[in-house]
Amino acid sequence: MSDVPFKNPGWAGNTGEFDLSEDQVRGDDFVGERPKHGGHASGSATMPYMLAEKNPDAVLFEGEYKERFEKILTRYPDKQAALLPALSLAQELRGYVSPASMDRVAELLGLSPAYVRGVTTFYTMYNKRPVGRHLVQVCTNISCNLCGADDVLAAFLRYTDTELGETSEDGNFTVIEAECLAGCGFPTCVQINSRYFENVSPTEVPKIIEHLKAEGDS
Amino acid sequence: MAYPYVSDREVRVVSKHFGDPLQRRIDTYVERGGYKALAKALEVGPEDVVDIVKSSGLRGRGGAGFPTGVKWSFMPKDTNRPHYLLCNADESEPGTFKDRELIRWDPHQLIEGCLIGAHAIRAQHVYIYCRGEFFETTQVLARALEDAYAKGYVGENILGSGHTIDVTVHAGAGAYICGEETGLMNSLEGRRGLPRIKPPFPAAVGAFGMPSTINNVETLCAIPHIVTHGGEWYRQWGTEKSPGTKLFCVSGHVNKPGNYELALGFPLSELIEDVCGGVRNGNALKAVIPGGSSVPIINAEEVSRCSLDYEGCVAVGTMLGCASVIVMDETADIVKQVRRMADFYAHESCGQCTPCREGTTWTAKILRRIEDGRGTEEDLDTLMQTTQNMVGTTICVLSDSVAAPVQSSIVKFRDEYLALIRRGERVGAA
Ligand SMILES: Cc1cc2nc3c(=O)[nH]c(=O)nc-3n(C[C@H](O)[C@H](O)[C@H](O)COP(=O)(O)O)c2cc1C
Ligand code: SF4
Repeated sequence: MSDVPFKNPGWAGNTGEFDLSEDQVRGDDFVGERPKHGGHASGSATMPYMLAEKNPDAVLFEGEYKERFEKILTRYPDKQAALLPALSLAQELRGYVSPASMDRVAELLGLSPAYVRGVTTFYTMYNKRPVGRHLVQVCTNISCNLCGADDVLAAFLRYTDTELGETSEDGNFTVIEAECLAGCGFPTCVQINSRYFENVSPTEVPKIIEHLKAEGDS
Repeated sequence: MAYPYVSDREVRVVSKHFGDPLQRRIDTYVERGGYKALAKALEVGPEDVVDIVKSSGLRGRGGAGFPTGVKWSFMPKDTNRPHYLLCNADESEPGTFKDRELIRWDPHQLIEGCLIGAHAIRAQHVYIYCRGEFFETTQVLARALEDAYAKGYVGENILGSGHTIDVTVHAGAGAYICGEETGLMNSLEGRRGLPRIKPPFPAAVGAFGMPSTINNVETLCAIPHIVTHGGEWYRQWGTEKSPGTKLFCVSGHVNKPGNYELALGFPLSELIEDVCGGVRNGNALKAVIPGGSSVPIINAEEVSRCSLDYEGCVAVGTMLGCASVIVMDETADIVKQVRRMADFYAHESCGQCTPCREGTTWTAKILRRIEDGRGTEEDLDTLMQTTQNMVGTTICVLSDSVAAPVQSSIVKFRDEYLALIRRGERVGAA
């Protein structure tokens, strides 16, 4: 059980508001553990993450990632359908989808580089350039907006000392506006890398930032 | 359980275990009667499952409200070609937050619903398309799926029945339009999520060119309960034309926002006053959007007459949509909020159709101008005309969705627009 001072700091078993230990949620098999390989091909190993530690020069794909990529391929009737999951894996490793990553994924899936670029640029979640260790996405759509999301966004910009869409000098934070994150009943909803922070108010922002800095990887 | 908020007016069928993390464990789920409906469905066969669902009158919970049993019966009966069931978990309609909760609290309920649905339409593979932002949600679901594979509820020869059904969780990558059924199919196939022209309809040519059916998460979550208890049981709630229960996602200026499962036909004013503890700070109610950002906005007087079922919403000039009730009190700035929604649609339009691509951007720009105090009265006419040209002229209904909030707000809250135009004065704070 984490002792973070705010509500709902992320993974299912770690939701402060319900006061449950990880063990109570899933037994030894808790979802908060990032699964590496093994398990059924349909399972969690094929699902993407957003990590704080990124390696822009990582090879696509080798080791654990190769295994995950191969599992993904077994789930679809054709190779092209693995394109989105493969791009997500590339982003998980490298932190963003560079033209070189697109070309490599195109090669792996037997698609043309131009086609892969067309698809990649269609989707907002593929970062087209490097982002900070923590990508902070503040929902400012209607439900959160009614409850003061603009102030939360302003607080994140102020306390991370960045401009909207830019990365802070220490490389820790990139703050962007997000469209509705489907957490409308828990405003303001903020996604930081893979996790949701809900019921965020401007006064909690400095605590969250301190917590992230102290925590390292997420 | 004190799941953020609960009310004794609720009828909790699909949301029964919200707030109970033990429900995620397969052992607990089975102990509580889980996967029995699957066994029953496999025993009675596809035709009977479709009949049970038809008799329940269950209507799609993804927005359009099409009867699920009828939709399933459109699927071809032969299995010369693979069939696919697609589960739409792309939940991105502003105001909607039910599917994520359904998956993270009760993943096996969805998996069981998917398996029964697949059996009913003779599909051997189910794809659950989760929006890309749902990292935690897809993890919970994928872990549950691994457990279900390990126990033989999914995969080859399910429960010794000889049937094979595979389930795959597929993560999207951030595009609202991939929630539209044919956009989702394109996205699943590794393309841009561009909606397709219909016909051909998905039941003839869907995902990977094969017959496909697409259902919302909440729709599929109701299936195990209906199969277990029968169609009549489900009809004890709701109205003749809108039977059953529905999750209402209440957000905005209420004291207790959250997901509430209520019998359809519930009075909107009671939902706000009673179930959600009233408008915050004792403020007066200004407006409500009852079905997510794509439906017309209604004022306080209309709220008092609105009952929450598909027909009741139409009667006051709006739609139930996916039942995402966004409540705005007297401090709300209607122009700003409509502009924010217009920005959203301008961002999410896929750009295939000119009226939508150009119209969404124009609308957002004009609204921004008005909001900044630089608008004119003619701008309101231009907005009405532009949005009118966006209705019924495009491939999908995203374009129509912009007209709903813009036109209804101009008609009902014209004085707020005019105040901004004439004096540059804002009416509300947020
Ligand atoms: C622009 C657009 C976005 C949509 N987004 C979603 C969505 O996020 N989730 C969903 O379940 N349905 C969404 N729909 C509705 C689907 O197209 C489809 O009607 C629904 O998934 C069918 O499932 P049902 O019969 O169970 O309601 C959207 C439709 C449109 C036009
Ligand atoms: S209406 Fe808009 S979102 Fe829908 S297909 Fe046309 S351009 Fe794309």
